[in-house]
Amino acid sequence: MEIDLDFGPLIASWRFLLGGLGLTLALSALTVLCSLVLGGAVGLARCYGPRWLRWPLVFYIDSMRAIPVLVVLVWGYFALPLVSGVTLPPFWAALAALSVHIAAYVAEIVRAGIESVRPGQTRAALALGMSRAEAVCQVVLPQALVRMLPAFGSILSITIKDTAIASVIAVPEYLNCSQTLAGQSFRPIEVWFVAMAVYFVILFPVTRAVDIAYARLASLGRS
Amino acid sequence: MTLDWAIVWENAGALARGAEITVLLAVATMLLAIPGGVLLALMRLSPVRPLALASAGFTEFFRNLPLLLVIYAAYYILPLTTGISFSPFATALVALALNVSAYNGETFRAGIQSIRKGQSEAALALGMSRAQVMREVVLPQAARRIAPVLASTWVSLFKDTSLVSVIAVGELAYTAMRIRSQSFRVLEMLTAMAAIYWALGYPQAKLTDWLYRRFGVRE
Repeated sequence: MEIDLDFGPLIASWRFLLGGLGLTLALSALTVLCSLVLGGAVGLARCYGPRWLRWPLVFYIDSMRAIPVLVVLVWGYFALPLVSGVTLPPFWAALAALSVHIAAYVAEIVRAGIESVRPGQTRAALALGMSRAEAVCQVVLPQALVRMLPAFGSILSITIKDTAIASVIAVPEYLNCSQTLAGQSFRPIEVWFVAMAVYFVILFPVTRAVDIAYARLASLGRS
Repeated sequence: MTLDWAIVWENAGALARGAEITVLLAVATMLLAIPGGVLLALMRLSPVRPLALASAGFTEFFRNLPLLLVIYAAYYILPLTTGISFSPFATALVALALNVSAYNGETFRAGIQSIRKGQSEAALALGMSRAQVMREVVLPQAARRIAPVLASTWVSLFKDTSLVSVIAVGELAYTAMRIRSQSFRVLEMLTAMAAIYWALGYPQAKLTDWLYRRFGVRE
């Protein structure tokens, strides 16, 4: 079947789409930052924090692994304001919901990284007279961090993909702009082809870099 | 603020039906994506270069797109290019199966490649045929490594089915959000939706952890 393609309406709206792309990238960057900080704190607290703190943290992590990010997003945007009385604008609600969700995955990566350093090393460091904090900061974490790096790269590509879900609560990021344009221009095929190309061009280098990082760094973290 | 949880019980039937469609969609997707993944892995590992390249291209394409975009694109592009009108469920199934096949293909390929080459060479030297080597030496070991990863993919898929609510497939998320907008009981319905997903997903996540502990590779 012959389909005539007309990219005119898309080219005419390039500023609109570029704005959406900017928002996608900004939301991704902020989400990665927030979830690394939050997830890092949760992961460390789970491994080294007080015992009573552990089960609520495990409960949080496992719950986030069980609930779809869309549900967290929609609940955070529509239901949370009814409980808390605070209404966040869509962008900030999306940032908060995505960060809370992705931080759970970061926490798991941090825990796996820390646990991958054999406990004998910590015991040896303690036996040499290092304090607990010194053993963690100077022996465990430097090795664990190297092993976490490729997984953090995966978090980056997962985050960029997940920001598309923010379109559901009307954050005008790239997917949302594409939806708008697909409706207005009556050229949905062109709009969605371009959207696929745009996301692919952003994400492909990230996943390639992660694959290379896995291959390169895997040997470095070995002990 | 007054809460009226009765709305959840009144709509329990509709929610159960939604959850049923969620499960059905996830199962149907996996049933398509496992053969799809096997096919992609076989193509990727075959000595015929065009086949390997086509498989790699397909995999990289779908691994690098947001699933929500694939769903929208399938919704708009499928009927316009094929001339067939797909039901929302069928559209969702196509989009999810494409996405999950790409991931499964990588899982199968990595599982097969994780079995050292020396083993197949030894088996061939002992006089086994290529098919025998695959069936009796490589696959039994690869299966143990593939099982936990496949379980993770299943958990992700189960959650990702919620995304097809945007094209009006009457699964759990869509049903809950529809009742929310009809009844205006926002907090109750959305909390019920989250709770149902949690109740369904939590045991799956725990089971996956157990599979990793049971079958995971330790070095």
